[in-house]
Amino acid sequence: MELATKKIVLRYHWVFRIREGWGIFHQSLLGKIGLVLLLLFALMALCSYIPPRLDPMYDPMTGVDPKISHSTGPSMRHWLGTDFMGRDILSQLLAGARIAFMVGVSAAFMSIFLGTAIGMIAGYVGRIMDTLLMRLADMIMVMPTLLVVLILSSLFGQLNIWTIVLIIALFRWPGVSRVIRSQTLSLKQRPFIEAARVAGASHLRIIFRHIMPNVLPLSFLYMTFRVTSAIIIEAALAFLGFGDPGTVSWGMMLQWVWKTGHMFKAPYWLLPPGICISLITLSFYMLGRAMDEVLDPRLRREQEAG
Amino acid sequence: MELRRYIIRRLVQIAIIFFVILTVLFMLFRLAPGDPVSRMVDPDMTPEEAQILISELGLDQPLWMQYLYYLRNFFMGRFGNSFHYGQPVVTIIANRLPNTILLFTTSIILSAFVGVFLGKIASWHKGGKVDAWMTIGALATHTVFLPWLALIMIWVFAYKLGWFPITGMISEEVWLNPEAGIVAKSLDVLHHMALPLATLFLIHFGSYLLIMRSSMLETLKEDYILTARAKGLSEKVIRNHHAAPNAALPVVTSVGLSLAFSINGGALTETVFTWPGIGRELVFSVSHNDYPLAQASFLLIAIVVLVSNLVVDVLYAYLDPRIRY
Amino acid sequence: MLLEVENLSVGYQTKKGFLKAVEEVSFTLEKGKSLGLVGESGCGKTTIGMALMGLLPPNGAVTGGRVMFEGHDLLKMSERELRGIRWRKIAMIFQAAMNALNPVHRVDDQIAEAILTHNPQISKEEAVKQVEELFELVGIPKTRMRDYPHQYSGGMKQRAIIAMALACRPKLIIADEPTTALDVIVQHQILQETKNLQKEFNISIIFISHDISIVADVCHHIGIMYAGQLVEYGRREEVFNNPMHYYTKALLSSYPTLSREKKQLLPIPGDAPNLVEPPPGCRFCDRCSASGATCKTGPPEWVEITPTHRALCDRCLEDCGERKHKS
Repeated sequence: MELATKKIVLRYHWVFRIREGWGIFHQSLLGKIGLVLLLLFALMALCSYIPPRLDPMYDPMTGVDPKISHSTGPSMRHWLGTDFMGRDILSQLLAGARIAFMVGVSAAFMSIFLGTAIGMIAGYVGRIMDTLLMRLADMIMVMPTLLVVLILSSLFGQLNIWTIVLIIALFRWPGVSRVIRSQTLSLKQRPFIEAARVAGASHLRIIFRHIMPNVLPLSFLYMTFRVTSAIIIEAALAFLGFGDPGTVSWGMMLQWVWKTGHMFKAPYWLLPPGICISLITLSFYMLGRAMDEVLDPRLRREQEAG
Repeated sequence: MELRRYIIRRLVQIAIIFFVILTVLFMLFRLAPGDPVSRMVDPDMTPEEAQILISELGLDQPLWMQYLYYLRNFFMGRFGNSFHYGQPVVTIIANRLPNTILLFTTSIILSAFVGVFLGKIASWHKGGKVDAWMTIGALATHTVFLPWLALIMIWVFAYKLGWFPITGMISEEVWLNPEAGIVAKSLDVLHHMALPLATLFLIHFGSYLLIMRSSMLETLKEDYILTARAKGLSEKVIRNHHAAPNAALPVVTSVGLSLAFSINGGALTETVFTWPGIGRELVFSVSHNDYPLAQASFLLIAIVVLVSNLVVDVLYAYLDPRIRY
Repeated sequence: MLLEVENLSVGYQTKKGFLKAVEEVSFTLEKGKSLGLVGESGCGKTTIGMALMGLLPPNGAVTGGRVMFEGHDLLKMSERELRGIRWRKIAMIFQAAMNALNPVHRVDDQIAEAILTHNPQISKEEAVKQVEELFELVGIPKTRMRDYPHQYSGGMKQRAIIAMALACRPKLIIADEPTTALDVIVQHQILQETKNLQKEFNISIIFISHDISIVADVCHHIGIMYAGQLVEYGRREEVFNNPMHYYTKALLSSYPTLSREKKQLLPIPGDAPNLVEPPPGCRFCDRCSASGATCKTGPPEWVEITPTHRALCDRCLEDCGERKHKS
């Protein structure tokens, strides 16, 4: 009986918080624009499955128009034109949206998971553990992620997309963990944690039942910023020629324009991928800023640029 | 006095961090799949030359000895020869370092100053048209994909309009001309630097503008601003003398936090504009499997990041008396 | 008469509507005298201070009344004229004075700035000399002049702020909760020194506080505020020895005093009314122990007990009579 009421109260609490949050979010013009743009990109990602089914010539990676062997401008057959070997740019662009979401969301998810776990452990356990983990975070934080991935790919050869995602995640957790740690530290002082400890709750239980629900909203805020940086790093890597050769990403499309010397000749090829990368970054960023206002305006700033 | 102690403490921290990076890099180079010897020895060398290099690098010794050799070689500046250039790596990176520092520091200082200045203006006009346009502009330039922006800059300003050279850092006809003075040479470098600098500036100033704007709005709510108003100071003095120095502190912090991000951008910019700096050398050496050059450029970039972090921290301590004492 | 405030009304535009923070407040202040404004938080006492300085936040506005200072209406002055009055004629010591000093500037520079702004003809050296004198006056060692605010203790910061308030020898100082953040002993010292300085320089002071015991020590006149209104006003002895308004009585019994005999401390039950739509009658009646049916329906009238003592309560004289009967 008592448990049931507690659950209801909890649910009310969450529903209330989400509704209240949506109320604030709704007022943010930037947030709404960001959300609409993101929905458009998601639609693009979904549509990427269509062209290869229509005709194998529209496959973003292997499809080549048999009649075309050089880059051509937009036409009825190829709405955005073709690349240097006659592949359809539109279907590449759509496939790029899929890759961007995949890379962005999975890398962000992993780095947030790592950052939250490490932050909570550092904050909760304290002492040497805290010092060690935070020094490690400081160290990783000063490393330029893109160049680290470059060095690794020179040593380990071509990296596939999941390895890239993993490395990005491994290098992007410190910002999150710092914030989560300080949040955990302040939570640790609160009476309800003290009460739980006195009542004999185990450390794991305190972390999972009492601390985690309170830091998760912050983690998710950081997730949007991490998505941005993961997409940028992957795109830059592909642009420099170190992307996964088995996938078509926007960065790779730009690399092809650049390396095949089409950048002055083929604006129909140069503009779309760049605009897409910039816009998806912008929309995640705007979403993040709007969520920022919903959560806590005072907890931002850390690493806005990263 | 206190400031000096602070700097020394930070230097020690930096030394430790660098030592860890050095060690991790050593392990990566030895533990990565493939033959470590082939990574340090130029495939074009004669067996005799290779043998000399192997014993110099200690590659025939056990792993822990190799590590000591590695440390010794690092401190003596022996990184081997670049496979591609055939020259000692040290010579190459010593040649590239000033170019990187020139572009990197100019772009950061310029974007921080302009960002702070414009952010201040935006906060004065909070809610107005100026503010709205500045915020939109800052958001847009801050999130644009850097290599793409670089390509667009080249396309528009160098290719279409022909105002600036497309790539490089110097033009031979100026530098090989014995009559060209230092002024002509500097102007030539500036002419080449304009586009890469503009690219880096556009990418960076937006985030500083946004931080300065929100920080300024927060600061204007502080009690000491009320005191300043009650003192009968003019709005201009309050903003510039009382609010701005406090509001700029988070900008300095964020310059420090985004240094790694800026170095990434620097390497991309150098690569697209073929600016002869370390970042471009790293990208180049990685794509040409020039391991000695890659290793050394990476270490040097790590040093650049760490030292600029120190500079930012010292600047912060200088600006905020609460840190100093 | 240095300051005459007549029917001053101030409001704030808020999301819930127009909040009438101060309504029809009148009081006067003579040269060299001090007035204490007492009330719980949110009663509008700080708003009065801000309105006198012309420092209301952007959503705040004076909706009526006159503030005559040395014969000129402060409310009619331009921002430029006000800037000339601020600190030179009226200085202010703020609530939460701990943050009232700018952390990135040295303390002496901040004080010299006030002097130099209002006396541009003075040289920098002269200003520094004046700052030195001020430090001596408030009892901070000269060696600490070049320090930054964070190097000061709470009491020293407060002294520095008092020194700053005295910098231009103002006619009036508005002290808003000047000692709230300090511990009791330092509080006492600062109050004593303030009292001495006031006598020395013949300055008028308005003390704003939630703590009636602080005001009791230093003020000649006392005004009690409740929910945006002045509810009782009079000379100190009158208000303390013969409180008329029920709120004043409740306030006096809710604070412990050292000087008087032990009394039961009584908390005042209930909350202050909403000021967006204030009730038509007496604002205290919901919490008042003596309220009757008439209290709720119409606004209370001022009752003059003596020429210098008045209260905003229709029933206060009835009670007076009762008390006389009892004694």
